Amino acid sequence: MICQAVIIGGGPAGLAAALRLKECGIEDILILEREPTLGGILRQCIHDGFGLVRFKKSLSGPEYAQRFIDEIEVAGIKYLTECTVIDVTEDKIITAVSKHHGYLEIKAKAVLLTMGCRERTRGALAIPGTRPAGVYTAGVAQSYINLQDVMVGKEIVILGSGDIGLIMARRLTLEGAHVKGVYEILPYPSGLPRNIEQCLNDYDIPLHLSHTVVDIHGQKRLKGVTVARCDESLRPIEGTESFIACDTLILSVGLIPENELSLSAGVKLDSRTRGAFVDEYYQTNVEGIFAAGNVLHVHDLVDFVSLEAEEMAAHVASYLKSGSTSLGNVSVVAGQNVGHVIPQKVCGDSDFTLSLRVRQPMKNVSIVVAQNGQVVFQKKMRKAIPAEMIQAKIKAGKLKPEGDLEVTVQ
Amino acid sequence: MRDFDVAIIGGGVIGSAIARELMRYQLNVAVLEKESDVCVHTSGRNTGMLHAGFLYKPGSLKAKFAVEGNKEFDTVAKELDVPFKRTGKLIVGFTPEDRERLEYFIQRGKINGVIDMELIDRKRMDEIDSSAGGNFAVYCPSSGILDPFIYTIALAENAVNNGAEYFLNTEVIAYERLADDQHLLRTKTGEIFRARWVINSSGLRSAQISEMLGIPGYVIQLVKGEYFVLDKKAGEFAQIPVYPAPTPQFTFDTHATPTVDGNVLVGPNSINVEDGEDYSVSQEGMDGLQESGKKMFKHMKREYYIRTFAGARPKLIDPETGQVQDFVVQRPENTPGIINLVGIESPGLTCALPIARRVVKLLKDKEELTRNPAFNPVRKGIVRFHDKTTQEKARLIQKNPDYGEIVCRCETITRAEIVQALHNPLGVSTVNGVKMRTRASMGRCQGGYCEMRITALIREELGKEIDEVTLTGCGSEMFTGAVKGGMEE
Amino acid sequence: MKRMFTCIICPNGCDIEAEIDGQKILSLTGHLCAKGVDYVTQELTDPRRTIASSVKVTGGTLPLTSVRVTNSIPKDMIFHVMNEINKRTLEAPVSIGQVVIANVLNLNSDVIVTKNVPAIRD
Repeated sequence: MICQAVIIGGGPAGLAAALRLKECGIEDILILEREPTLGGILRQCIHDGFGLVRFKKSLSGPEYAQRFIDEIEVAGIKYLTECTVIDVTEDKIITAVSKHHGYLEIKAKAVLLTMGCRERTRGALAIPGTRPAGVYTAGVAQSYINLQDVMVGKEIVILGSGDIGLIMARRLTLEGAHVKGVYEILPYPSGLPRNIEQCLNDYDIPLHLSHTVVDIHGQKRLKGVTVARCDESLRPIEGTESFIACDTLILSVGLIPENELSLSAGVKLDSRTRGAFVDEYYQTNVEGIFAAGNVLHVHDLVDFVSLEAEEMAAHVASYLKSGSTSLGNVSVVAGQNVGHVIPQKVCGDSDFTLSLRVRQPMKNVSIVVAQNGQVVFQKKMRKAIPAEMIQAKIKAGKLKPEGDLEVTVQ
Repeated sequence: MRDFDVAIIGGGVIGSAIARELMRYQLNVAVLEKESDVCVHTSGRNTGMLHAGFLYKPGSLKAKFAVEGNKEFDTVAKELDVPFKRTGKLIVGFTPEDRERLEYFIQRGKINGVIDMELIDRKRMDEIDSSAGGNFAVYCPSSGILDPFIYTIALAENAVNNGAEYFLNTEVIAYERLADDQHLLRTKTGEIFRARWVINSSGLRSAQISEMLGIPGYVIQLVKGEYFVLDKKAGEFAQIPVYPAPTPQFTFDTHATPTVDGNVLVGPNSINVEDGEDYSVSQEGMDGLQESGKKMFKHMKREYYIRTFAGARPKLIDPETGQVQDFVVQRPENTPGIINLVGIESPGLTCALPIARRVVKLLKDKEELTRNPAFNPVRKGIVRFHDKTTQEKARLIQKNPDYGEIVCRCETITRAEIVQALHNPLGVSTVNGVKMRTRASMGRCQGGYCEMRITALIREELGKEIDEVTLTGCGSEMFTGAVKGGMEE
Repeated sequence: MKRMFTCIICPNGCDIEAEIDGQKILSLTGHLCAKGVDYVTQELTDPRRTIASSVKVTGGTLPLTSVRVTNSIPKDMIFHVMNEINKRTLEAPVSIGQVVIANVLNLNSDVIVTKNVPAIRD
């Protein structure tokens, strides 16, 4: 099978990219989705607050996804569900399996990586203790509760204050569980302030900053956890331990772009974002392979995932029409107080967007983008927090062809 | 009450090997296992190493059985469909004292019948595995790695397929010798088993069960060992198990071993414990492994951690000297009808079948056994999609569409494999049981994608209610009920 | 007196410092837009929230559909509304926008379906 553009993953990024490709005149598009329906993680994100940027309306996750799915149907874009991609090569040959279609090999002119992200696990954190039932990542718990009608526990402790953890604190409370507290190793929350307010404060769920779980108890089902206060270098302070009885521990300790397929295609990853190195066209180091959304870097809002995927798709369309894109020479460098920046390489011939996150919460700051000491962009912000993605739109023609572009927050 | 010719207490790798070997004869065999599956304790919590046999005292059962078990394992692995690789092993040294000890073990190996060990320099080491630590090493080509879960499960399944009966969740708590020298075993749940022979292969509890059966006096020291499991990305660097030179007490410290599936195990440490079934992993333990692991494996990095686990070894010790003793495999004359195994620890996995044959011989010495003409030594495992070629994969899906549904993304495990695992011959229905049989959820996302699919399949395929789905058996329920309605009514 | 608010209207999540006298706002700082004023006013007089949950579906391709309220409801009514939602069961097919409970507890808000669940075809 041969196809112009293959999109791996029918979540928010993949759906938005498909629609934009079609708008740009690309007809031969195929979305490959492993679940029985399109929509990706939005299927289980039943809370509202999606679409405020894109649709100026507060929608639930499934509603937000359905708007795209309906358009996909109207546009007649081809997709396969229950179809899992198991390999992608540098030559853009995609191997997928499906119980309906068997073993598929598809040769694509362009591959759009939109696989989203996965959750960091207990194993990756190496939390000490036993291995009982009752320890779930927030997304897994969310799927059990919102998709399978299965309740994970009654007395809950949440480790990590990422947005999914906060959302789950509220969901579990609404469904009758008792959330005893949220423990965050950092001295500031990882989730958005409004989620702290409406998911924790509204339900009198305490948030313990600078605290972590240092032991897990119970041989069969979880019996409790030991928590401790942490010092500035995030190490538990001896003597501050206390035992909390609970039957469930929910982990909301970070998301990791799901790049196993990207790696098999020879795509190089940035150790900071754990997503691909891309240029301003969202093209990876492998010509014709593009990436956007959470597979590229973890976003705070789905609206920005859709917007980024649309931008990528427009560039994919011109790549498919013109056959090539000029590779940028200018490296984008994360400078002072900046955790990471996307894209990592630009040429500056057309408008582009820089997406970045700060390393720690800051007030009254300036986002400064400079090349060879010359400021090319500056934006003042009253506050900047790691939980929020910051974007800077750079106009075409602002850059010199040589010299690193340094992004700092001062 | 159920009557059997032989009742085996403990269905780990040893009990299962014994059951399998006994099925070569016309015997009714029961295996009484207190857990919900067969490799919950020591049999499933180890490095998965096929030892060569150079470490053990010449003339000991450990030495004899290890050499015997090692030699035959290619055939065994084929017969029982067990993932196995004869990788060889590097035992590495840093100091002149290490070198002395390594040379001593080459000699000891020779006496034991391990004839092909050689001392090699760093240059040769780099050719074999550049990620190994150390300045020089002994290279032992006959060592290997195997999947300890699948090996134990395969022995048990082969025993069952040949007519043995497994009783899971069946803990023996009392023993009585009857007037006719038959034996009565009572279980925690009140079941009674009567047998002409009782075999103690209860691993961690072997000293207690031995005492219960009328053979007191054994002292077991339980030694816990903690491990890290590293991502397959680290596995790409690991070609061969790398062990440090043995300690003066003839034991191995932390080593780094590739697994048959391509991960890396770093561990174990050694901690004397009271409760052998407390498998918690400690911060100090992990900090220690991080340091000692680096010496063996240059790519021991935090980014590769996917899991930790712990196991325990039941070491039989001389209470006077504290010295670790050889395996006990005995049929005491004053306790007729009892075959007693105590202190079976490392290299127990390697020795399982030789030990089982010794047990059969001890039994045969006392009564004539009739061959079982129907015995089939071959056991077929689950056909793994991931291992197949492109054509074979396509054919598998064509024959069974469930092979086209990927359930575990990280390890590429299909629905067909999960379904086969759920209908296993032992009747195990736990989430961990599926994991050990298929590898589903052993990858880097640790079940983030597949666990919810596996629990749904347990309900669908086995007709379990929401609150009957367990991780490791009764008491480890995964869920408290339905979110909506289900449980209230 | 001074009181801090975190505006939940949009993802900016402005930290708003309010000088208030009972339910009256004397001054506000920290809000990026006029919605912040509305939010604080609402919080002082009649705090409201939206909620989302699920309803059991019979005969569908999924065991649950998701639901939400169409207008925010008084904060102290959240668990009362949850009780009403928990009483309901729907028969597949259900589709987005379908009203599960009209004007729930007379709060001027409907509970509506937010996910399509087709019926299982035999």
